[in-house]
Amino acid sequence: MSSKSLSLRNISKRFGNVIALDNFNLEVGVGELVALLGPSGCGKTTALRVVAGLEHQDSGTVLVADKNISDVPAHKRNMGMVFQAYSLFPNLTVEENVAFGLQMRKVSKHVRLKKAHELLDLVGLDSQSKRFTHQLSGGQQQRVALARALAFEPEILLLDEPLSALDAQVRVNLREEIRRLQLSLGTTTLFVTHDQEEAMAISDRVGVMNNGVLEQIDTPDVLYNKPASSFVAGFVGTMNRIPAHITDGMVEIFGSKVVALKRGNETGKVHALIRPESISVAAATAQGNAKVLTRSFMGASSNIICQTADGTIVQSLMTSASTGDLLPGSSVQLRVLSSEVLVTNV
Amino acid sequence: MAKGIKIRFRPALAATLLILGFFVFVPMISAFEYSIRTPLTGGYGWTHYIWAVREEDFFHYILRSMWLAGVTVLITLFVLVPTLTWLHLSNSKVRGLIDGLSLLPLVIPVVAFAVGAQISFPEFVQNTVLELPFLYFVLALPYAFRSLDIGLNSIPLKTITEAARSAGANWLRTITTVIVPVIRGSVMATIALTFALSLGEYTLTVLLHWDTFPTWVTYVAQDNILGAIAISMMSLIIPFLILTVITLFVPERSTQGRK
Repeated sequence: MSSKSLSLRNISKRFGNVIALDNFNLEVGVGELVALLGPSGCGKTTALRVVAGLEHQDSGTVLVADKNISDVPAHKRNMGMVFQAYSLFPNLTVEENVAFGLQMRKVSKHVRLKKAHELLDLVGLDSQSKRFTHQLSGGQQQRVALARALAFEPEILLLDEPLSALDAQVRVNLREEIRRLQLSLGTTTLFVTHDQEEAMAISDRVGVMNNGVLEQIDTPDVLYNKPASSFVAGFVGTMNRIPAHITDGMVEIFGSKVVALKRGNETGKVHALIRPESISVAAATAQGNAKVLTRSFMGASSNIICQTADGTIVQSLMTSASTGDLLPGSSVQLRVLSSEVLVTNV
Repeated sequence: MAKGIKIRFRPALAATLLILGFFVFVPMISAFEYSIRTPLTGGYGWTHYIWAVREEDFFHYILRSMWLAGVTVLITLFVLVPTLTWLHLSNSKVRGLIDGLSLLPLVIPVVAFAVGAQISFPEFVQNTVLELPFLYFVLALPYAFRSLDIGLNSIPLKTITEAARSAGANWLRTITTVIVPVIRGSVMATIALTFALSLGEYTLTVLLHWDTFPTWVTYVAQDNILGAIAISMMSLIIPFLILTVITLFVPERSTQGRK
């Protein structure tokens, strides 16, 4: 596998008055899987298309293994791409689709079909090789698309929301399969998605984009626990924003003081950013500091929505076993479990 | 054919087919019947067909017309497939303009084309019969444009084009190995329409003083109307057979289930 590193340096791209990428920078290491995550219109797909050569940046440089490929046309970039819509060629059989990239590289028919069967075997579809693509399910079609993108041993694999059109269970299975293949082949991969669970589940690092810039790129763990900005904190996972007071680096929430990780004011009113699993809810023996609005049972865990006396809605995620007595309307005591919290300006 | 398929009788459909059949097939059957009459004996026979194929000029002119029609088809495909692909991919407003312009040959009299060609074309172009395919192309444009346009509209063109390019296909190979095979039905319809229109074109050809099969048939009709009808019937059957053979030789690939 001829996997290589990828660098995007100061990429800017506009569509009319809309700024899709604003001085965008990204580094992807050899064999690494990096996901670009963000809301619709944040520029993540544009970044991917610039890498593929399907869009040309207004300024900036695209480097593969430190070689500038900014002006190399798409068909000469040697990048495998899987699209959101099933992009298979309807006039070709499954094996012909997979062998297409090798055919374009003038590889002999015998060799390319052998390679196609190897890849189809890897994605578990060798038995379907003679069928036409419309005879396959959505998940199978995306597997074929993945095999086609990998068959010519691309330097970079580009995945443009490849799971978006699939059913929930198929999505989970296929994303695991993508990760398994990516790890076994060691292909440098850039994966664009708006689904944070997908991004967090299979990526080495996740880049969160907003308005054409990369807000933060980190491992899923760091991204979740130490978001670099209020946007990242709100976009990745669920985050409570609880009005609080900060004094001398300590923030007072639900009557107790917690160390504030400085992202906002030193003193005065702030919002404390706390994950639902960092808030405990207990039935109050006397007057509590909140009351339960709803309790949603989700199997092993339950989601408790509470409202404090000042009207703030607080969400807590707890093991179901400990939430049996938290009925809607009951008075409860909220408590922050973490020893430090992020704060942001009001 | 799967067992158990029943064709339901639909009165409205039957009536439509009957009316269409009346206007399409009755004149043809009548012409055929007329062409096999032998006035001398009062019966029927193949006299006029035998006379026609023995005519030296028959094959000369029909081959010439078919050759010109073939060149017209090539010009049509070479110009329209890349142009329409580009128009569809660029999503340009120019597409609407070109769509409108492609209809102009329907409203501009053929005589205007002929006069325009004689005035504007340089002499070396007017001296070659190859000026005809370019003008036939213009005459076939309204039909060829729409036929290909429908084909390109029916497929996810942007996605499969980008998939082909990212897999290593340049534009030429993307068009020849992906787009054209995927819209094979539209391409075949375009070939058939352009070929048929070019083969039967008379007015422009005669105004530009060229001799092709239709002008020769008109010439023959002055002396032998039954022979001319026999020739016309053959000119209908021969291209039909050729197009059928072409269709059979182009491998049928499955494109069902596409967008």
